[in-house]
Amino acid sequence: MAALTAGSVGLDPTWLLGALTLALLVLAALKLMEARDRGGRRLVALLQLLVCGLQASQLPDLLPSLVQLLAAVLALAGLLQLESGLATPWRLLLRQSLQVLAAALPMALVLFLLVPRLDPFAALPGPSARAVTGLSADLDPGTIATLVEDDSPAARVAFGDDRPPPPERRYWRVLVHERFDGRRWQRGDEEEAGPPEVGGAGSRAAAMGELESAAGRDQVWLAEPSRFTAVPWDGRSGSADPRLRVEPQGELRLLRPAIERRSYRLRPAATALAWQEQPPGPEALSLPAAANPRLLSLGRSWGGLADPAARVAAARAWFQAGEFRYDTRPGALPERDGLDMFLFEQREGFCGHYASAFSALMRAAGVPSRVVSGYLGGTWVVPVGGASFLELRQSDAHAWSEVWLPGQGWQRIDPSVWATAAAEQGPAAATARAGRPQAGSGWRWLQRQWWGLDMAWSRWWLSFDRSRQEALLEGLLGGRSWALGLVILAGMALGLIAALVPWQLRRQRPRRDRVARDLAELLHLLRPLGLEPEPGETLEAFCQRAAGIHPVLAAPLRHLAGCHTQRRFAAADPQGAAARQAADSWRRALHQLKQARRSAIRQVRECVP
Amino acid sequence: MAAWTDLVAGIDRVLLGKEHAVRLALACLLAGGHLLLEDLPGTGKTTLAEALARSFGLAFKRVSFTSDLLPADLTGINVLDPATGSFRFQPGPLFSQVLLADEINRASPRTQSALLEAMAAGRVSVDGTSHELPSPFMVIATQNSLDQVGTSPLPESQLDRFLMRLSLGFPEREAERALLSGQALDLGAMVAAGQPADLLSLRRRCRRQHCSAALIDYVLDLVAASRAPERPGAPLSPRASQGLMAAARAWSLLQERDFVTPADVQAVFAAVVEHRLDPAGRGQLSRALLEAVDAIR
Repeated sequence: MAALTAGSVGLDPTWLLGALTLALLVLAALKLMEARDRGGRRLVALLQLLVCGLQASQLPDLLPSLVQLLAAVLALAGLLQLESGLATPWRLLLRQSLQVLAAALPMALVLFLLVPRLDPFAALPGPSARAVTGLSADLDPGTIATLVEDDSPAARVAFGDDRPPPPERRYWRVLVHERFDGRRWQRGDEEEAGPPEVGGAGSRAAAMGELESAAGRDQVWLAEPSRFTAVPWDGRSGSADPRLRVEPQGELRLLRPAIERRSYRLRPAATALAWQEQPPGPEALSLPAAANPRLLSLGRSWGGLADPAARVAAARAWFQAGEFRYDTRPGALPERDGLDMFLFEQREGFCGHYASAFSALMRAAGVPSRVVSGYLGGTWVVPVGGASFLELRQSDAHAWSEVWLPGQGWQRIDPSVWATAAAEQGPAAATARAGRPQAGSGWRWLQRQWWGLDMAWSRWWLSFDRSRQEALLEGLLGGRSWALGLVILAGMALGLIAALVPWQLRRQRPRRDRVARDLAELLHLLRPLGLEPEPGETLEAFCQRAAGIHPVLAAPLRHLAGCHTQRRFAAADPQGAAARQAADSWRRALHQLKQARRSAIRQVRECVP
Repeated sequence: MAAWTDLVAGIDRVLLGKEHAVRLALACLLAGGHLLLEDLPGTGKTTLAEALARSFGLAFKRVSFTSDLLPADLTGINVLDPATGSFRFQPGPLFSQVLLADEINRASPRTQSALLEAMAAGRVSVDGTSHELPSPFMVIATQNSLDQVGTSPLPESQLDRFLMRLSLGFPEREAERALLSGQALDLGAMVAAGQPADLLSLRRRCRRQHCSAALIDYVLDLVAASRAPERPGAPLSPRASQGLMAAARAWSLLQERDFVTPADVQAVFAAVVEHRLDPAGRGQLSRALLEAVDAIR
């Protein structure tokens, strides 16, 4: 019950199902307190199993699944104990419950693979109660004197072919900031988001068509809790998951509560995505006329160039000639005309400075532009025996610009790379870091191993979604959907047989004799002392004789002989309390014997120089 | 019902220094078997028999077997009752609870056979009428191993009917010293430790003693070893293995346990099987058999 309660952490109470699960859990806990008889306890165990199942449908991640498994095993052990009515030792109970679970596995596998999936329940963004560090909705580099390196994890991604993407493709976009007030770059409201553009239910068929060709570059993402429903992506993938949608400005939103860990699966899209073609609104050129006069005049000076691409090139040349330095400790900029200060005097800053200054310059030059924040690079992790993955930390956070070029759509420009970077700083260092696995502290190493497991779980287990299942069934049945019922029935029958046959075989196999094993161990222990039973000698007689030879062994040997006789020949239920007591006292006496044996061996060595 | 130690000690005070033999005899009584005492004269065979009978307050009769003893002398005869003019059964000495058949090898085979049949069936037939023997019923036969002239030794097939064969042997020096200095208790002064009904309930308890599968395996291995073709001596019959189990059960009860162990089997083994393996032997074959079978299991 405690495990279940622990497993309920992360259940979203706003969900109907979550509320039901919590209610059942509370009910079971209360019932456990007042249950006196067998019926009551049975009810508690059954409720616990039910809650496990409900939780599994809502919290399928690796850690909750492990907790659910533990709770299910405990519930089964309780049920077995209740139904058998015997005082079974807990180890045996646990083993039996695991056996029951193992017997259910084939059937579960059949159901998992074959039974048609329902679409996930309409998921609404949950309350953003938890403040999580990371990206910010407002990008205001001027107020940040020193960029604090936050090393907490942000997201992980595994690729279908287990190869890291090339460095220039490691820009993982999350938020798009379009509103500029002269100082801050703000993000559009989530509620303003339009209808799903790409990757919604409508494009499922298209995404499925690409399944075979692009399976090699499948991406499985695991995003840590954040303040946004927007999740990292590469800007060029699609998904069949109806909970994922690409907003017009190019954010990928996962319609699940952002306060929990989220996993999703992306597939590369063959064509350019709609957000890149989405023409800019008036917002993309708006620039407060009162702020940053020097910036405005510089930008307008490029406005005469006819080709927007030439304006971008001019800006680039200007930056590169300006001896800008990339520095995470630039000092705060003044409240007014902060970007002027940065561009013309300080010339030191980090990605936020460069992205916002460049985007503002482009707007002044008449090129629609905006700031995108997300992650750059990441660390390629190869866990022991697990699937390798790219690890993104908050310290990998980055900001860059996007400009609208007619005929090309939105193009990524990263002005930070134009600055000369100090060692181990800046985007160049970040991409270089990403290329090689890093040796971290032991804790970091452990964490990465766990994440490796977690990734594997997400990849092979959680990502078997409706589209994958449909592809599998399509391959299996070739469109004869009427045969699905037959296949499910046949599969269930096979699963049942697979569960029952080992059970039967087990029953026919003779049980391993614990007492005989213990006896063999005792004889083995005495042999080095030159103590061997004589022909036809009983254990009591042998032990007595041995005790005569080595008096230090007398007491434990007497205990062991009596104990063995009791276990082997007395009328007792082999699972009963008396048998357990005898086994316990055997263990204790054997421990004493081992201690006494050491001194006996010493004595033997002293006698035989 | 007195404790075991009292029971054994009671007989032991009569029969000094023979504790093991006394226990075996008691086990034989509890197992419901018959006992063959084979020893030199004057070693206390009769005393043991009478002490056994007295310890449970059993009716005791003694018959000295001679070559002219007839079966009817044992079973009893139908006599004409002059008062009623009809025949009335006059029970013989067989109708007791403990019968001491002294020097059984002196009697003719015919008489021996009548005794052994009565022992096996628990009843006697006289002139076509069957008469039940009293219960409990135990025969303690003695056989003098020295006098071979004019005797008919029991055939092997009949020896099988005795659960145990014991020999008391000479007492230890100290025991004999105590005997000579008059420390032995007089039989007449012996107090019964229990009633015949106690013996019957003890016999029931005996039958309930737990024999685990491992123990039964041990007994089966012993019996199987005796039946191996290369082994000397007669193979043990199922009656022998049954008797072995019964005696081991009784022995385990005497050890104040409620289950039987290989040690119990070994304790009674020689007494139960030696006379079946080798009528003239003195325990050598049974010991070899015990050593041939692993008792640690």
